Amino acid sequence: MLNQSLYSYKDALDKEGIIFTFCGPISHDIVEGVGITLKSQMQESDVQRTTAMKVFAIFIEQVQNVINYSQERNDLESDMGMGIIVVGEHEGKYFIIGGNKIKNSKVSTLESNLAELVAMNRDELKAFYKQKRQYNDNDDSKGAGLGFIEMARKASEPLTYSFEKIDDEYSFFSIEANI
Amino acid sequence: MTRLQIEKTKSSPEIDFNPQTHTHRILGESYPENTTQFYDPVLDWINSYLAEGYEGEMTFNIELIYFNSSSSKILLDIFDMLDETKNDKIRVNWIHDEDDEAMEEYGEEFEEDIKHIKFNIVTK
Repeated sequence: MLNQSLYSYKDALDKEGIIFTFCGPISHDIVEGVGITLKSQMQESDVQRTTAMKVFAIFIEQVQNVINYSQERNDLESDMGMGIIVVGEHEGKYFIIGGNKIKNSKVSTLESNLAELVAMNRDELKAFYKQKRQYNDNDDSKGAGLGFIEMARKASEPLTYSFEKIDDEYSFFSIEANI
Repeated sequence: MTRLQIEKTKSSPEIDFNPQTHTHRILGESYPENTTQFYDPVLDWINSYLAEGYEGEMTFNIELIYFNSSSSKILLDIFDMLDETKNDKIRVNWIHDEDDEAMEEYGEEFEEDIKHIKFNIVTK
């Protein structure tokens, strides 16, 4: 029974430095509620304001990505997307990881876009951000398509990501930002 | 032209656009559930307001603590609309906390592309 092993589950999360994790249907209420909790938690533990705001900003982009792009949802029009979000701290560094199912057909485009992004330096990221913001030609994008660039600009190391094939139709996509 | 007032929520800013005083403001945090839905009335209002062709000073005070990437796109759309009037009586005040360097940098990035209107980065 899971309730008997819940402590060991929590203990395992604590050992990984996980501050917060959510797995399941993600809605805008989670974005607001958890975002605010996360900010207060960091303020209470005297985290530098700049760092706290970066963690918050990346959290928002990660969660809104899951809501907008997860292919696992009750129906296509649903305001919720299924996915997983993990926020933690390890040796003074924060990590924010987001994961969700995507269609296999989207993998190669996303993978090459991200490869391009992680190879960029600060100035290139800024130029790319401004260019994307001005000329938004990505029809597939519900947001401005700027989320990953914003995350890359806020993170102190290049983003890392992975794709795991689930079946003939879907893959699991995950992306991590470190601060 | 009627005044546009929208109360702030946890994830959307307060909007107060006043066609009598010609001082307008956006205040708070911006990461709404549906950015387009939230900002469409705002963009429509600005469009009609600019079309009236007021000849005096017009001020837009933007005082945001946080905005997400899709709100950033909308802010650019707003500044583009204002700049396209080529009216130097339009002033944008980008207001940020003194110790908020990130917000100052965002302001500078918008400022780089503005050609005609006044764009001031102001600390409070």
